[in-house]
Amino acid sequence: MSILRAEHLEKTFGGTAAGSARVAALDRVDLAVEQGEFVAITGASGSGKSTLLHLLGGIARPTSGSVLLEGVDLASLDDDALARLRRRRIGFVFQRYNLLSELSLVENVALPLVLDGVANARAEEAAHAALKAVGLAHRAGHRPDELSGGEQQRGAIARALVTEPAIVLADEPTGALDSANSRRVIELLMQLVAERRQTVILVTHDPGIAALAGRTIRMRDGQIESDQRNVSSGTASAATPPLGGSPAGAVSQ
Amino acid sequence: MNLSRLLLRQWRKRPGRALATVASVAVAVAALVATWVAADASRAGYQRLAETVEGVPSIDISARGGGRFEATSLPRLADIAGVRAVVPLFFRPTLLRVGEKRVRELAVGVDVAALVDAGLLTLTAGRACEEANEIVLDSALAEGLEKQIDDEVIMFARRSIRRMTVVGIADSESLKWFAEGGGVVVGIQPLEQMSNAFGLVDRVRVVVAPGGSRPALLEAIAKRLPAALLAEVPAGRAGMAEDILHSANLGLDFVTGLTIAMAFFLVGNAMLMNVTERRRSFALLRVLGATGRQVQRFVTVEAAVLGLVGSVVGAALGLAAAGPISVGISNTLQAPAAAFTVHPLVIPVAVALGTLVAIAAAWWPAREAARVEPLEGLADAPPPAEGVSRRFLLLAIVMWAVAAVVMTLVVWERLPPRAAVPAGILMMLAFVATTPFVLPSLCAACARLIPERWRIERTLAVEQIIRQPIRTALTTGVLVVAVSNAIGLGHAIRDNVDDVRGWYTRLMRADWMLTHAGMVAGGLTPAGPQARLAEEEVRAVPGVQRVEGIGVATGRVAGGACVVVARDIPADRPLPIDPVGTTEAELRQALERGEVAAGTLLARRVGIKPGDEVDVEVFGRTTRVKIAALVVDYTSGGASLLLRRDAASRLFGLEAADIVLVTAKPGRAAELRDSLRQIAESHGMLLRSFENVQAFINGIVSGVVNSLWAILGLGFVVGSLGVANTVTMSVLEKTRTLGLLRAIGMTSGQVTRLVLLESLLLGVAGGLIGTVGGIFTALLIQFASQPLLGHPIRASLRPSVVAINLIAAVAVTALAAWIPARRAIGLDLLESIAAD
Ligand SMILES: Nc1ncnc2c1ncn2[C@@H]1O[C@H](COP(=O)(O)OP(=O)(O)OP(=O)(O)O)[C@@H](O)[C@H]1O
Ligand SMILES: [Mg+2]
Repeated sequence: MSILRAEHLEKTFGGTAAGSARVAALDRVDLAVEQGEFVAITGASGSGKSTLLHLLGGIARPTSGSVLLEGVDLASLDDDALARLRRRRIGFVFQRYNLLSELSLVENVALPLVLDGVANARAEEAAHAALKAVGLAHRAGHRPDELSGGEQQRGAIARALVTEPAIVLADEPTGALDSANSRRVIELLMQLVAERRQTVILVTHDPGIAALAGRTIRMRDGQIESDQRNVSSGTASAATPPLGGSPAGAVSQ
Repeated sequence: MNLSRLLLRQWRKRPGRALATVASVAVAVAALVATWVAADASRAGYQRLAETVEGVPSIDISARGGGRFEATSLPRLADIAGVRAVVPLFFRPTLLRVGEKRVRELAVGVDVAALVDAGLLTLTAGRACEEANEIVLDSALAEGLEKQIDDEVIMFARRSIRRMTVVGIADSESLKWFAEGGGVVVGIQPLEQMSNAFGLVDRVRVVVAPGGSRPALLEAIAKRLPAALLAEVPAGRAGMAEDILHSANLGLDFVTGLTIAMAFFLVGNAMLMNVTERRRSFALLRVLGATGRQVQRFVTVEAAVLGLVGSVVGAALGLAAAGPISVGISNTLQAPAAAFTVHPLVIPVAVALGTLVAIAAAWWPAREAARVEPLEGLADAPPPAEGVSRRFLLLAIVMWAVAAVVMTLVVWERLPPRAAVPAGILMMLAFVATTPFVLPSLCAACARLIPERWRIERTLAVEQIIRQPIRTALTTGVLVVAVSNAIGLGHAIRDNVDDVRGWYTRLMRADWMLTHAGMVAGGLTPAGPQARLAEEEVRAVPGVQRVEGIGVATGRVAGGACVVVARDIPADRPLPIDPVGTTEAELRQALERGEVAAGTLLARRVGIKPGDEVDVEVFGRTTRVKIAALVVDYTSGGASLLLRRDAASRLFGLEAADIVLVTAKPGRAAELRDSLRQIAESHGMLLRSFENVQAFINGIVSGVVNSLWAILGLGFVVGSLGVANTVTMSVLEKTRTLGLLRAIGMTSGQVTRLVLLESLLLGVAGGLIGTVGGIFTALLIQFASQPLLGHPIRASLRPSVVAINLIAAVAVTALAAWIPARRAIGLDLLESIAAD
């Protein structure tokens, strides 16, 4: 059974107030993601990638259609239940505004557990483990603004992982990073997929990164234009190919 | 829960924001404490003032039909709460012979020793009477008679002649409250025996304990009295003091209530800003899976902690400020500064209230924070503009309606005047609640006046104001309340003062005044034609231009006590009183026909109206008179019946002039002093210059007024602190925006102007709205005090009061914006862009 399923997802913005134009950000999107898949979503700016991710992650509700995570229909949950589901089953990584600047790195990572009522010591223990996994154990006590962009982003990944979520959703996590840092972040995500059979959905503009994923979904005008499985890469056993080059031939259209 | 660490970190990261919030709460609580203590000091001051004017607050018990009654028919009263003493009184006119002089005097029989012990009678020399042949003399009378302790005085009673020994001299002031103008104090039993009236009393004075309520006591006493006895507030100067006290207390209540309202705005605004600024943080928490309730609890806990800290700091500040304020108020009230006391409840209540208000004020922002869309945390855009819901307007209208109903009931006297206070405050809140609907357009209109070359700053400032109508309304709310308050109360105070002063100037329009010791309380018995001797002697003094005599007697009308005032009414001078609902000319004619004018308060108390024919009893003689009109009168609390002297003589045999007003020919006032003093002495009268009286009255009135102004000023200071704080927070919150503007090339001058303009626009708009509110408040207070004063007040607008307040409001906001504006240009560009 798919770990995540979207059926007939639609999302329109505006149109309620007089004069404001209706924008159909998503238009009848169907999608199923299996456990351990590494899915890359690409597409032109404004094609609805972020919107899709928000709906899948339960931080916005669709205009119509449904999202099922591990068999649970998100539409059936009230706000609080949805919040609990987010903090237990979903990990988010975004391009910016990822870490609370008031908290240290380890506190940031522990936050989802703390929100869930986990005792402090245990939460920080788990946070330390997660930081170790992303190679940041030595920066645990630092504030976000004392870290580089790449380190912050790895910290965000650690936070996304700390609850051992069903799925990690990442919206252009490398958008603000240089190629070296981008590479480390992506390697990290791929390693997770490989070692833990972690399901990851990643939005990216970078064809090189998309090529590394086991599956590439291309969006256009709010619809899925293509949905391609790559044989050569992105599987649980795939090695890590070099980044930044031309699309590895597997990307087909 | 461990979010507390996040809270601590947020405070440490941005101490300015937490501090500003604490400061708002502190200012609000300090204002509350200071106002409370100041109001207490004022009340105590008024009380002392009233006592100085009245002597001792008391209740008078007399026989319903007039005349004496058996002392034993009086039930026990001393055990009623609020009773300080029960004082039976017996009066008897006598003639004193001292050498060749014969002086007609009123002897007062009372338990002298008990009064002295209770501190209700002050002896300047000697002791209280113990034996039947001992007397205490009024100090002024003793001086006039040239009598000292141990001297002998011969007292003519009806059948007997008694040799009495002077054993004590009483302070004139301390006699006033019970002696009815009498200057000879004797033990009550000897005097009763002398009059063959053993066991009878004329009246019983019940003294109200300090802090006791006279109306409540009056009610309690009335319940116990047999039908034949009547309890009432003694007619006399008490009324005036009470009137002033009443309206001043009403004013105090109003100011205190408004301070609380203002504190609410201050704290509410601080909480709102404190939360909205962190929307993005909350949104991120929501994305990470914090439930709405968790966010709400987070905000509420924060409010509670900041509120508690702010309240404690504020209470300390308030206490520190309260000391000098209450001393200052005691000084302006010319009352001896009693040891500065703070009601034991002030601090706990203020701290609890501050914390609760902080929590309550955070309720709405907390709910909003809980509802922050998780998506917002990811967006680069600023939080969406607040909408002002229709429900808000509805709420305002409902508040208006409730307040209006209460107010109407007050004017109709279905509710006590005090009910006007909460109604007024409600109305003010409703008024502020409507500001979000008018403020944006008002600001936009004001912005048109800003020169074109500051177009960009102007546009941004207006945009900022319009984007957040609720917060803007809260900010201006503080100002609106302060300005309304000042204008409204300013008017009310000036109106009342002018009322009182105007009356006195009409009455006391002479250079000199000769009076008997008990000036207004008046005599009990008629005197023969010799009573006019003093007047005639004065007329004969060279340099005197005009002499007006005023006779005063206590009497009863329609079952109530009254003061009958008989006075000369010269045709060539304005009437000494202020007619209500008729013209001076008509009233003059009516008085010439022998009709009487009734004080508004008296008319209200005993239920008489112009045109009524009523029985008036004076000196035991009952005569039917016609009420010509109602007049405004303050000396006897409006409980007076005024008529011409010729009519008084004909109707009641009232001849004597207890007060003789002397006007000198131009420039000759001073040279009359010696001859007038001689005449006064020979008739046992006191000579006062009008200046003294006026100074006395002015002292009272301006003391009350100054204390009200002081408290009002306090409110304005708080208002300006509130505005300063709000503008500071607003700049803190806009750090990002301002930094971005600087980064894209706005000069520091432009940024300063932007911040200043925004505040100024708020100041002008708030000032204008406050002015409208102030005019309403003024009318409202005038309406609410109508039942108290018993006459319609001319609703008048004073441009100076309005202008001063408007200018002050604008100046305050401009000043308040200065520091934040400086801060805004000092911002580190990098930091401000990176903020949050
Ligand atoms: N809150 C909103 N209100 C109105 N329209 C919106 C809103 N959010 C997104 N849209 C519109 O929906 C469409 C899809 O937006 P979305 O953010 O999903 O695009 P995207 O594919 O993520 O683009 P990008 O690559 O630039 O991030 C766009 O046309 C966008 O303008
Ligand atoms: Mg996007």
